[in-house]
Amino acid sequence: MNLELIGELVKLRYKLMWAKTRTRNGKIALFFAGYILLIMVIVILAAGGLGAGIVAVRSGKGYRMAAAILGGFFLQAILATVLLGFGMGAIFSEGEMRRYPLVERERVLVRHLIGILDPFWFLILALELGLALGMYFFGAGSFWLGLIAVLLLFVTNYLFARVLGQLVERLVSKKGGSTILLGLIMCLGLLPSAIQPQLKKNSQAFRPVVEVLRYSPPAGAAQAMTHVDSEAAVGLSILLGWIVGLGAVLVILEKRPIRVRVAQSTKLSWESPFERMGAFLGPENAILVGQWLRFYSRNNRFRMLYPLALPICAFLVILFPKQAPENSRYLASLGAFTIVGFMGTVQFAVNQFGYVGGGFRRYLLLPTNPAAVLRTGSYTFLMLGSVLIPAATLILLLFPPVPLDWHTVVLFVGCAVTAMFVMNGIALWVTLLAPRKGNYDASFGNDLSFAANVVVMGGMFALLFGPRAIAGVWPHAVGPDDWWKVFPLILIAIFFYFASLRKAETMFVVRREALLAMMEGRG
Amino acid sequence: MENAIRISNLVKKYGTVVAVENLSLEVQRGTMFGFLGPNGSGKSTTIGCMTGLLDPTAGAIEILGERFTTESAGLKRRMGVMPETLGLFEPLYAHEFLLFIGRMFGLDEATTRKRVSELLAALELTDTSKMLSEYSTGMRKRVAFAAAVIHSPEVLFLDEPFESIDPAGVSLMKQWLRRFTDQGRTVFITSHVLETVERLCEKVAIVTRPGKLVWEGDITVLARVGAIEYDGKQFDALEALFLHLTGERYTDLNWL
Repeated sequence: MNLELIGELVKLRYKLMWAKTRTRNGKIALFFAGYILLIMVIVILAAGGLGAGIVAVRSGKGYRMAAAILGGFFLQAILATVLLGFGMGAIFSEGEMRRYPLVERERVLVRHLIGILDPFWFLILALELGLALGMYFFGAGSFWLGLIAVLLLFVTNYLFARVLGQLVERLVSKKGGSTILLGLIMCLGLLPSAIQPQLKKNSQAFRPVVEVLRYSPPAGAAQAMTHVDSEAAVGLSILLGWIVGLGAVLVILEKRPIRVRVAQSTKLSWESPFERMGAFLGPENAILVGQWLRFYSRNNRFRMLYPLALPICAFLVILFPKQAPENSRYLASLGAFTIVGFMGTVQFAVNQFGYVGGGFRRYLLLPTNPAAVLRTGSYTFLMLGSVLIPAATLILLLFPPVPLDWHTVVLFVGCAVTAMFVMNGIALWVTLLAPRKGNYDASFGNDLSFAANVVVMGGMFALLFGPRAIAGVWPHAVGPDDWWKVFPLILIAIFFYFASLRKAETMFVVRREALLAMMEGRG
Repeated sequence: MENAIRISNLVKKYGTVVAVENLSLEVQRGTMFGFLGPNGSGKSTTIGCMTGLLDPTAGAIEILGERFTTESAGLKRRMGVMPETLGLFEPLYAHEFLLFIGRMFGLDEATTRKRVSELLAALELTDTSKMLSEYSTGMRKRVAFAAAVIHSPEVLFLDEPFESIDPAGVSLMKQWLRRFTDQGRTVFITSHVLETVERLCEKVAIVTRPGKLVWEGDITVLARVGAIEYDGKQFDALEALFLHLTGERYTDLNWL
């Protein structure tokens, strides 16, 4: 094993991260600030984990609490990686790695070492380590066993996310795969609410399930953390078993690359629904909107995230405790409904040109004002987002989470329209000021810039929890009694969007050289 | 004869770095014009300024007698461009890409479809099951060439058009380009393959770093007289003149 070369490549990953900051002095400061922030977050998370450990020991149910907490961390890490793409970026592809004198298993090792050394995974590690320390300080287990358990769980978590990512990628690359995935997620999402009443009626019926869960990675780690006898060894062996199993599955999957989709027929098809859809936005936009629609309809990431927007918003409501006060359910439903118009498209709207690559140059050569490209791209996201609002309204009417009258429905729809215009307006600025070259073919990985991530995550959380925060200060502001207030909000949002679009069009022409350099990998 | 391209005192700077320095050129209509220079001499930057990709720092550009700016959409419709980086949309099939280009350049639907079919057949791009991302470099070049000519432009800008294309493809492209100029249309071409430029072009301009014009002239004299005279010396091939103007370098690496 060429450890020296492997070390050099891992170092290169960090050198490349550093090199990106060299272009502007301000970015260097940002880099340091980002890392100081990261360290602070790690410390806070470790303290959180420690606190959870203390609670677990004091409750007298150390093993069960630890298993539940680790299970939560484990699932959250998987959701954050598979759905949001954190910690799943491939810095070097297999093709790039083949340039170096490394054998196959060394290349695999480098890729995964770089993957697991992503700052995102450090956050997960910090949480789990904090928990192990908490357990140790309060005498629930051994320090070394806890440390080994956490490290093994950390590797298992990474491998699990990778395997799941591979499976999802394979699924969405197939025709109809996105629909199957959607169905699976819906079933998974409905499972807790379906199980809960049964669990109350007959808890013994789920005993076999609980027994099986004892062999899950978080349970194995919890067992090793909370015991100092042979039980700890059993816990560690569960984790080792998972690592071997997942590692083997991952090797098999990676050795069988995803087959590239080929055309169903070799006959040229001249007709396409994309231009017809584009025609809804006027003949001057039809061709470019059609082109954007075609471009994104073939993107695996888009095909996965866009259809998920609706069920995710629905689950945010369904999963809200049924026994919660009606006002809380109302506010949760309003928050979830508000994000439906942009949730499926915002990741792309904030980095409109990030996946176009060399095609960006072509856009600038077209016999049209260059700004038309920006405008039509933004219209495309608005159109796609607005399609989801009536669909969500239908679901809202069929399965009302709270008692509905037409005032409430108008308020919900109005909030979704407002949020859609505001977020797409902000996305225009982010697209121009904080773009980042992304990988069109990757189904996973977070390609967005820091600012884009702040807008996507911040926007979603602000709107999800915003109604609750506002209601805390001004209870009537988001209530159905003042439903009419949504109309001026819609008008302000539309004005903001079009004013942003107008300014952004001018700025796009000015910034096109910088964008071109970035999209072609020179900036 | 009327000018198809006229560049006056073109300057392009990136911050303090000068990419093109006070370049002035005139290309007559119906000419096959070669624009040569070593790597990094500002050829692609000059083409970028002439096709609306880049904003010149100073100077003026006229295409087909009209002042060219970023807003010159009408003028762009009369130009065809094959950029060095090709500018393809990878997840599209070749016919979809060419349909998009044809429609954007104002061709009616029937003409677009007819031309796309003919171009795909002529350039042997008949494997319709592959997306552009799966094409070889040569095939991708052919698609970019097809996109540059689909709307029968009056001026054609080709940045390194022949690299990676097989001899049969190059021969076909040359044949089309000759017919193109015979019809009074203009071709502005950059290439490092000097033999091809020598055989194909009538006029040549040579630039050196940073985008500074060092020679411009008629290279048909090579065929007629057998040599180009410059600086009191005779050059029997374009390559010899090019190396003389841009500086021959020979560094011996004894370990190589």
